[in-house]
Amino acid sequence: MPAPAPAGAPVISVRGAGIRFRRNRRGRRNFKDLFAGSSRRSRPGEFWALRNVSFDARPGEAIGVVGRNGQGKSTLLKLVAEVILPDEGTVSVDAGVAPLIEITGGFVNDLTVRDNVYLTAGLHGMARADIDARFDEIIEFAEIADFVDTPYKHLSSGMKVRIAFSVISRLEEPVMLVDEVLAVGDRAFREKCYQRIEELLAGGRTLFFVSHNEKDLRRFCTRGLYLDKGALVLDGPIADVLGAYNADYHPPKPK
Amino acid sequence: MAGSAGAVQRSEASRYRHVLWLLTTRDLKVRYSTSALGYLWSILDPLVMSGIYWFVFTQVVKRDIGEDPYIVFLLCGLLPWMWFSGAASDATRAFLSEAKLVRSTKIPRTIWVFRLIAAKGFEFLASLPVLAFFAIAFGAQLNLNVLLWPLAFVLQTILLMGVGLVVAPLVVFFRDLERAVKLVLRFLFYASPIVYASSNLPPAFHFWAAFNPLSGIFSLYRAAFFAEQLDWFYVVVSAGMALVLLGVGLVVFRRSIRAVLKEI
Repeated sequence: MPAPAPAGAPVISVRGAGIRFRRNRRGRRNFKDLFAGSSRRSRPGEFWALRNVSFDARPGEAIGVVGRNGQGKSTLLKLVAEVILPDEGTVSVDAGVAPLIEITGGFVNDLTVRDNVYLTAGLHGMARADIDARFDEIIEFAEIADFVDTPYKHLSSGMKVRIAFSVISRLEEPVMLVDEVLAVGDRAFREKCYQRIEELLAGGRTLFFVSHNEKDLRRFCTRGLYLDKGALVLDGPIADVLGAYNADYHPPKPK
Repeated sequence: MAGSAGAVQRSEASRYRHVLWLLTTRDLKVRYSTSALGYLWSILDPLVMSGIYWFVFTQVVKRDIGEDPYIVFLLCGLLPWMWFSGAASDATRAFLSEAKLVRSTKIPRTIWVFRLIAAKGFEFLASLPVLAFFAIAFGAQLNLNVLLWPLAFVLQTILLMGVGLVVAPLVVFFRDLERAVKLVLRFLFYASPIVYASSNLPPAFHFWAAFNPLSGIFSLYRAAFFAEQLDWFYVVVSAGMALVLLGVGLVVFRRSIRAVLKEI
């Protein structure tokens, strides 16, 4: 292994994974195309967002995913979260995943914060009794004790993100995916989130972290994956990966 | 120090049911918490519809279709029709209306479709008191065939699962389907024994009507009040059609889900 990996069977195993997307996402097909035969439906405007990506992640590893915009970082995270499926290769995840991806996505505007907490935590597989036990903790972390019975839509956007982070980060799942969600929110809350992530890491969670912030990457991650043009260019200790990334795209400024 | 140590390990099936239940009740909760009339809406629609048809076919034109009391005959077809058409048209938005949730949450994927069928099914059950009310008011006699209702319910669920599994993923690629489904539903309303009975059809159509799976299902519902409406040939063909559709649906769904998730 390139990185000092903790022992144990891999929780995430990605083998030759590839996924392609249509370049022109707006170009909806219609009935005419459906009946126009397969030749017209062969899709030339597709590109591989990721291809031939293979790696293992062991319990307790903290992996930072590095790369420029549009090089497949978020796609990789979504593959690991299993909200999209690879077109070739396999992605197997042997543990529950707490995805901090579009975290406010599951929240329903017309329901109260309380209902939303039960709904979202439940959708991610938490049992009702567990939610009962953690409910106060979740609300306290999000600092919105006064708004528990307020419809979600009346919360400020900061509060929305806070409660969403609070719920997902209490899922107690062995794998945690963080996709730049923390760019929002004030600095104090962000620091609190980071402390929570460190807590979870100390508790032996596996972390996938996508960020453009070098400081954050160094703070949490021991291992890095460098994605460029849909390929996994480098898999190694985070310092090496950041070094390679910077060498490619941020040549050191002359002093 | 594995994180899953504290989490309750649950079987696939119970997790499936749990998530299906969560999303179904969420839909109903949203519906009832955002409208003042709430429950009334699930019965108001069939009430107005059946009121119109009752007026046209008993007060305006001289009717020789259906059975007496006509309002009970009508509701026996109209209420399950509301479930069918409501769920089928909701299925066109199964993924589109929940795009953000689909993108961020991993749940068994057929639930995106089945939750809609379940929610409309609950509304159907909630509208049955309307039928009971009119049956009592007009003195319609309930007979033992009411025991066939669970069969009708199951057949209709299977049929809707098949329809939903075909429609929901395809709409994502062919938006035209959304309107096509609405059109087909309007056609199907008159092509199904709702305002009339299958036995009222000209003999030439009698055989072919069986291939509308709703014929057999509605005949089961109606048999509870009108024993002569029960036609086992229709029921058997309906069951066959529903199962075939479910099979087709499962194949379509499995083949297209990968592309659907990318498109959402």
